[in-house]
Amino acid sequence: MKILMAEDDFASRKFMSNYLGKYGDCDITVDGEEAVDAFMMALEDEEPYDLICLDVMMPVLDGYQALKAIRDIETERGIPEKDRVKIIMTTALNEERNVKKAFEMGCTVYSGKPIDLDKFEKILKKLELIE
Amino acid sequence: MAEEIMDEMDELDVAANADDDAQKGKYMTFQIGDEYYGIAINYVNEIVNIQSITGVPEVEDYIKGLINIRGKIIPVIDVKVRFRQEPVQYTDRTCIILIDVNSTMVGLIVEKIADVITINEKDIIPPPSLNQSVIGKDKYVFGLVKVADEVKLLLDPEKLIRDEDPMSLE
Amino acid sequence: MGEDFNTESMLDIFLYESEQLLETLQNVVLEQKDEDCFDDASINEIFRAMHTIKGSSGIMMYDNITKVSHKLEDVFYYLRESHPDNVPHLELVDHVLDVADFITAELDKIKEGDTPDGDESQIITELDKFLNKIKTGITETGDDLPPENKHEEPKQFYIPPTENESSKYYKASIYYRSDTEMCNIRAYTAVYSLKEITEDMEYMPDDIITNEDSGAVILEDGFHMLIKCQCTKEEVLEAIGDTSGVDWVEVNECTAKEFEMGFHEQEPAPIVIELDDKDKGKGKEKAEEKKEEKKEPTPGDYVIKGKETGKGKKLAKNQPKNSPKQSYISVNVEKMDSLMDMIGELVISEAVVLQNPDLKVPGLDLSNFQKAASQLSKITTELQDVIMSMRMMPLTNTFQKMNRIVFDVSRKLGKDIELEVIGENTEVDKNIIEHISDPLMHLIRNSVDHGIEAKEDRIAAGKDPKGKITLEAKNEGGKVYVIVRDDGKGLNREVLYEKARKNGLIGNRPMSDFTDKEIYQFITYAGFSTKEQVTEYSGRGVGMDVVVKNIQTIGGKLEIDSVEGAGSEMTLKIPLTLAIINGIVMEVGSSTFVIETNAIKEFVRFGKDMLVKEPDGEEYVMLRGECYPFIRLNQRFHLEETDSSIDAEDGIVVVLEHENKYVCIFIDTLIGEQEIVVKPIPSYIKKVQGLSGCTQLGDGSIALILDIAGLITDQERR
Repeated sequence: MKILMAEDDFASRKFMSNYLGKYGDCDITVDGEEAVDAFMMALEDEEPYDLICLDVMMPVLDGYQALKAIRDIETERGIPEKDRVKIIMTTALNEERNVKKAFEMGCTVYSGKPIDLDKFEKILKKLELIE
Repeated sequence: MAEEIMDEMDELDVAANADDDAQKGKYMTFQIGDEYYGIAINYVNEIVNIQSITGVPEVEDYIKGLINIRGKIIPVIDVKVRFRQEPVQYTDRTCIILIDVNSTMVGLIVEKIADVITINEKDIIPPPSLNQSVIGKDKYVFGLVKVADEVKLLLDPEKLIRDEDPMSLE
Repeated sequence: MGEDFNTESMLDIFLYESEQLLETLQNVVLEQKDEDCFDDASINEIFRAMHTIKGSSGIMMYDNITKVSHKLEDVFYYLRESHPDNVPHLELVDHVLDVADFITAELDKIKEGDTPDGDESQIITELDKFLNKIKTGITETGDDLPPENKHEEPKQFYIPPTENESSKYYKASIYYRSDTEMCNIRAYTAVYSLKEITEDMEYMPDDIITNEDSGAVILEDGFHMLIKCQCTKEEVLEAIGDTSGVDWVEVNECTAKEFEMGFHEQEPAPIVIELDDKDKGKGKEKAEEKKEEKKEPTPGDYVIKGKETGKGKKLAKNQPKNSPKQSYISVNVEKMDSLMDMIGELVISEAVVLQNPDLKVPGLDLSNFQKAASQLSKITTELQDVIMSMRMMPLTNTFQKMNRIVFDVSRKLGKDIELEVIGENTEVDKNIIEHISDPLMHLIRNSVDHGIEAKEDRIAAGKDPKGKITLEAKNEGGKVYVIVRDDGKGLNREVLYEKARKNGLIGNRPMSDFTDKEIYQFITYAGFSTKEQVTEYSGRGVGMDVVVKNIQTIGGKLEIDSVEGAGSEMTLKIPLTLAIINGIVMEVGSSTFVIETNAIKEFVRFGKDMLVKEPDGEEYVMLRGECYPFIRLNQRFHLEETDSSIDAEDGIVVVLEHENKYVCIFIDTLIGEQEIVVKPIPSYIKKVQGLSGCTQLGDGSIALILDIAGLITDQERR
């Protein structure tokens, strides 16, 4: 599985890449802009990502902006729903309106921090990203 | 006089907050008729001078009515009447001891306030044989102590303010 | 917990909404339990509730809840589409309640932070069986089954954060010896090693690399750090190390909040108190502010401003991380209590000011003062209203809970009982609701268990085989009455007396010593019930005396009345925590009384020809051809006799009314009308018939408040 991660906090980055590394190749970016760039690059190389993990609070572009950009690009390229990249937003913000907004904008999973690793794994299975 | 006692009590309070044991054994004493009585200081909240009492109808004869202490309305009882003795006229020496018994606040009207004394538990002598039909003050005395040739009768505040007869419980 | 969420977190909202749905569902079911089948509206409602819970629990991956609600949704789908007859109604009711109970239990686990690990397989199996029964029932009548109920799989998911916030927060300080050089660089070394193990960190002074002079600052004030990490204190100390020049190091745990506040003086987030809809007019500006805060999050809100050395993350939006946007706050009840006390004191103080004897100088022009005074009064009245409304809540929820209890207990005992609820919208202070729930449950259980007889007994006695319990609430004269009435077998004087005597509760006093009501009160004595009376539902004598204690905590009392063979009535009388009423202050002899303005019909100058004296001593007053009972308060209350009681010349007669009954009292002088803060007469003093409380007047004296209903009842008795 090809994974893209956007996380500006060093410790979280280290943790997530260790964890996700088990499931596939993990590319790391440190802000929203880098993440969108990496996403574009992978599309153009015809080796798109299967899963993107986005932090919400990041420099330059925040998680919402990155999410919007990625979904807009997919729409512009006519990528059908079922082929779109699965996006997991991770953040300490847990208010209902944040979650609703993220869902509206096309995020697949919204996970509060600290991340419940058991449920996280369950979801990866449900989304058929892992066995 | 009330002010002095209050000052002493404030000091005790400070000490007590530091160490609850400091209060054990200290009694507030006062005079009713010819005798001196004592009440454990941890029941005593405040001492005020006699003031205007609003009568409440149809209460026991020893319940004199209500007083207003900084907005709080507190019932007061005349201890002499409670002891079934002849009541006396209130003078300016008369004080009201505000006690707190299990969250019930009651004022005790006493003739004269005396000192706060320290008593060792082992010096307390149980009162002479009680029988059920005892009336008057003896019902409320749980012990006696001798201090410098004077006998002080120690009162049980809970008994003092409540009737033991379950039928007249509120 | 539902009324009280102070964040709008996804999880809290899920819990709250689901609980609301389940409560409504339960009420709908209980309302219709006696019908032959559910009506269309109910079927739809139950279907929708299950559909919603299925959806939201699916998003949060609480699979067992999803499965169970899914199954029940299916059942109601078929009911809705095919309207089959002969659906076993009681069985269906049981299934719905089972599902509701299961989900509620799982929700409770989630609330506590535990895993909802309930096993749903049994419920699913039973629902499947039931569903098959229905489907067979439909096809047997020759109808076709409707198309399968389509379920959409959730496509988006939410994972709540794990509760165990294992991040720890520390405040660390390093102090260097006074001869140490380049402290700022040494400090930086400590920071660098800490970065390995910390999640987030902030330090002061923060310009240790860029500013040489920071070394001097550090020597003077020490070097301070706020650290967020998963480590122990020892690990932090170790990371800081023992660099030379260090005089001493201090590491202390601190709270997450302290960490967030950082080293900068931050203003605490403004507190916004949500006003009810009906107060919208008053809170218009507040509402505007709130609306702004409640705006949707916009992409770009969470971009992080350039990271500065030593400072924690700051959002470009100038909004500190995790600052809660609250439109509700939960307030410590004790604070509300003091607020209530203070408003009462404010009303009294206002009276002291406005009625101050200093103002009674004759010839003084007080027109400006009066204008200002009336403005002040207006404001304090508004203040009272808002504060009271903050605390008052309807009894609806509490009463609804009773429905379920009656249902469960009566079913298990094989009795058929109907619960009638009156006045459930009566509002009482929040404090009272908390204290009343358990006692009420106990009283209702008692009525079901001991009060209402078994069906056969009722029929034999010529009663309706269906028992009836009435739960009623009403507001009257500064008190709240909550009444539990049943039409069961009532209380038997002799039986109660014997029992009390046998258990040594009343010594040897003969039965004739006691009035009926006093005997009924025996059941509230500790140690009254013997073993024979213990059942699963109403327990030992531990019950009733605890009920009474609970009620007394809120200053109330329990009254018991009964007619043998016809039923019993338990009345809880609870004073409103703060009642402010309009009252007329009057003098009788040397006592001052207050009467609620509403109860006064009119004032009449006393004339001797009005008075009619009966041979038995009773007096009446003739007014416009009508005859009213007449009470001389000072005689009645055994107060000091004054001259005016005998040959009234200058007195005033006050005509009082309560529920269409009239009585007249005689007073000496009218003082005036004012707002009265009703304070209960200290519970130490036994209840006096005719008095409902007392109050403090403007001059500090105490006035007694007359209870008209009590006076009238008392008068009738004589």
